[in-house]
Amino acid sequence: MSDSGYIIEMKHITKRFPGLIANDDVSLGIRKGEIFALLGENGAGKSTLMSVLFGMYEPDEGEIFLRGEKVRIASPRKATEMGIGMVHQHFRLVSNYTITENIILGSEPLKRVLGFIPCVNMKKAEADIAALSEKYGLKVDPKAVISDLNVSTQQRVEILKMLYRDAEILIFDEPTAVLTPQEIEFLLDIIRGLRDSGKTVIIITHKLEEIKSVADRCAVLNRGKLIDVLDVATTSTAEMARLMVGREVSFTSDKTEAQPKETVLKVEGLTVEGEAGNEAVKDVSFEIHAGEIFALAGVSGNGQNELADAIAGLKTAVRGRIYLNGTDITDLSIRKRTEAGVAYIPEDRHNVGLVLPFTLSENLALKRYYKDGFSKKTIIDRKAFEENGTRMIEEFDIRSSRGNKTVTAAMSGGNQQKAIIAREIALKTPLIIFMQPTRGLDIGAISNIHKQMIAERDRGAAVLLISLELDEIMDCADTIGVIFDGRINRIAKASELSVNEVGRFMMGVEDKQGGGTNKVRTGGTAS
Amino acid sequence: MSTLDTIIIDGLAFALPMFIMAIGGIFSEKSGITNLALEGLQGFGAFCGGLTAVLMLRSFEGSSQIPYYVSFIAAIAGGMIYSLIHVALCIKFRANQVISGVVVNILAVALTVFLAKRINDGVFGQPSNKFVLETSVRFSVPGLSRIPVIGAIFKNVYPFEVMIIVIAALMWFVMYRTPFGMHLRACGDNPHAADAAGINVNRVRTIAVMISGGLSAIAGMSYAYSITSNFSPDIFLGYGYLSIAALIFGNWSVLPTLGACLIFGFARSSGQALITQLGMPSSYNDLVRILPYLLTLLLLIFFSKHNNSPRALGEIYDKGKR
Repeated sequence: MSDSGYIIEMKHITKRFPGLIANDDVSLGIRKGEIFALLGENGAGKSTLMSVLFGMYEPDEGEIFLRGEKVRIASPRKATEMGIGMVHQHFRLVSNYTITENIILGSEPLKRVLGFIPCVNMKKAEADIAALSEKYGLKVDPKAVISDLNVSTQQRVEILKMLYRDAEILIFDEPTAVLTPQEIEFLLDIIRGLRDSGKTVIIITHKLEEIKSVADRCAVLNRGKLIDVLDVATTSTAEMARLMVGREVSFTSDKTEAQPKETVLKVEGLTVEGEAGNEAVKDVSFEIHAGEIFALAGVSGNGQNELADAIAGLKTAVRGRIYLNGTDITDLSIRKRTEAGVAYIPEDRHNVGLVLPFTLSENLALKRYYKDGFSKKTIIDRKAFEENGTRMIEEFDIRSSRGNKTVTAAMSGGNQQKAIIAREIALKTPLIIFMQPTRGLDIGAISNIHKQMIAERDRGAAVLLISLELDEIMDCADTIGVIFDGRINRIAKASELSVNEVGRFMMGVEDKQGGGTNKVRTGGTAS
Repeated sequence: MSTLDTIIIDGLAFALPMFIMAIGGIFSEKSGITNLALEGLQGFGAFCGGLTAVLMLRSFEGSSQIPYYVSFIAAIAGGMIYSLIHVALCIKFRANQVISGVVVNILAVALTVFLAKRINDGVFGQPSNKFVLETSVRFSVPGLSRIPVIGAIFKNVYPFEVMIIVIAALMWFVMYRTPFGMHLRACGDNPHAADAAGINVNRVRTIAVMISGGLSAIAGMSYAYSITSNFSPDIFLGYGYLSIAALIFGNWSVLPTLGACLIFGFARSSGQALITQLGMPSSYNDLVRILPYLLTLLLLIFFSKHNNSPRALGEIYDKGKR
């Protein structure tokens, strides 16, 4: 088989975890010098398969052949020695070290002080890193400290780490999940460049467009099983999606025309401070009506987080008022706001959305545990928790290994998000804030969330959707607001804005320069 | 000798052992292991060194300096071995590191007092919990010690002070210039990153805690040869805790920690000088002893906001967790 041109062959790999078969008899071969994608929903077993290849797990059954020879990859260190490198979804970087220190960590170049004392040769290391980053077009400052860098640069450091160790096989686990559209383009270019210089690249992803754009071949996994290996050039994205999810997926959400009614949320002249003490949100005003999805578009870091946090009560407003159904809620505590009718699905699932060490049933009761029906005279009613949990798990199809008793930290990202959405929707509030609700999720889960969002709108809720994904905004919004540098510089009906226009406003193009677009200013504009 | 000279000489003799102990703490904490056990480690080290010294003094001439140095080596070995309890609890059994440190401290007091009594009884035939040592000899650097004011730094110096400065410089080099030091600091910031780079996190942390055991023992032995001039339960006066305060004020960096230790040292010695000057009864000496602690309280108020502890400090390292 080795003469087939495969650099890696994984044969009949099976990996079991308690209560779960993560990989079920998976066999595949990867050719030298290709970009090979692993496609699958959350929990399909992609990451597990690659963790096996990278030596983090040993397979229960099956064999791995590397360059035609059977190998046993017992640890990441072994994998590194064999020329396999991996960029994890959560970067493995030392935050107070420089880029150079991070890259050389564990394989430091040495020099001898006084002829015998071994000591790290930082000068040589910095020169090496500069040369390496030059060679692969990964521009970094070797002396910059990690904690000062943005995610995209940190990712470049991770890539350089692999290259510094002469890795020939580069594994990327969901590399684009944390990047902005521009950064994604840049990364995909880098990946193509790596292939052209002879490296073999494996990408784990569930984003079809990326596969279409860079990959040569693509393996589809579903629930631990290999479904098919496809030639990307000759396969449509619709076909890939069908194989991945196991059923037809509609790309466009079939939603009816919005029937906006009375104003639910009214924000007036809101100014919010950012982390650095700057004004992250500047004098923002808008309204959202019952039965309307108001989508806020914008490039990451233009004040979206602060705006959502201010409405939900996690941050206090410097100036301005927030009204819910005519009542001023600007100075209410978070709990009072929840009770007044604000539900919030935060961007940061792990730190804000869930209490990770708590069980699923506890997390599902998190916003109501103190109320009658969940506790009796301040003593928690476990039974009510479980009944509530069972009902929600059923209704929202939250999958986990132990149901109510599952610790949420052990759940997949998609199911964690389902749990949060279930908890918030169950509050039946007049206002629901969805902050980046589909980040990092696969298409099946995304289309489900979009359906739920629209169902909430149809129930009569006012929905504030904040997203970095322009497609999501265009698919779901009734009204679109575009935020740039803390100001909403455009509000219009979704039907009156094209993707390109929204994109332009996201980049900060002034309303007046929009080429006559300002005459469509209607709809949800604050009056 | 002027009062100022006394303040400098006594202050240094107190501050430098505390400094080497704090460096031990920095090694442990920079690797990610909270180390409240310094107090116990220095005491146990002093016990081992003190025992070695009294045993050797029986067969050596009174003026021989060999027992002095051998006792330091014995103390270091004892401190390192005793620190393995903290290693076992924190790394092997993943116990809470604060509790482990407290346990190691309490055990050290009980164990050393018990053993000292039994050994004194059995070997020397005298019921006592002390190993009486002579106060270490001192020396003055000719010439340099004659310089006004700063000459005091070179006057009446204990040999262990020189030893401490040499070892401290060496440890600084190990921490910031060698691969091992780089691995160690990485383990305290992001052990997952260190692990991914092929570093054995638990091994690095084990060595770091053992280093803290050895360095603390040097401090304990130094105190036994100076302030207390014996090994006795008096060695457990809380200087270990004070050195933890020093390393926190020093922001887990070696040089600022030296500054903090010197402040503590001079606070103590100038307090004592004040009492002598005013001719106050010796019972006021106890009052002076609280000066460094009082200073700790004050400094805590001002510095606690700015501290910058290792990110993974006190976290139990679990390979599977991301």
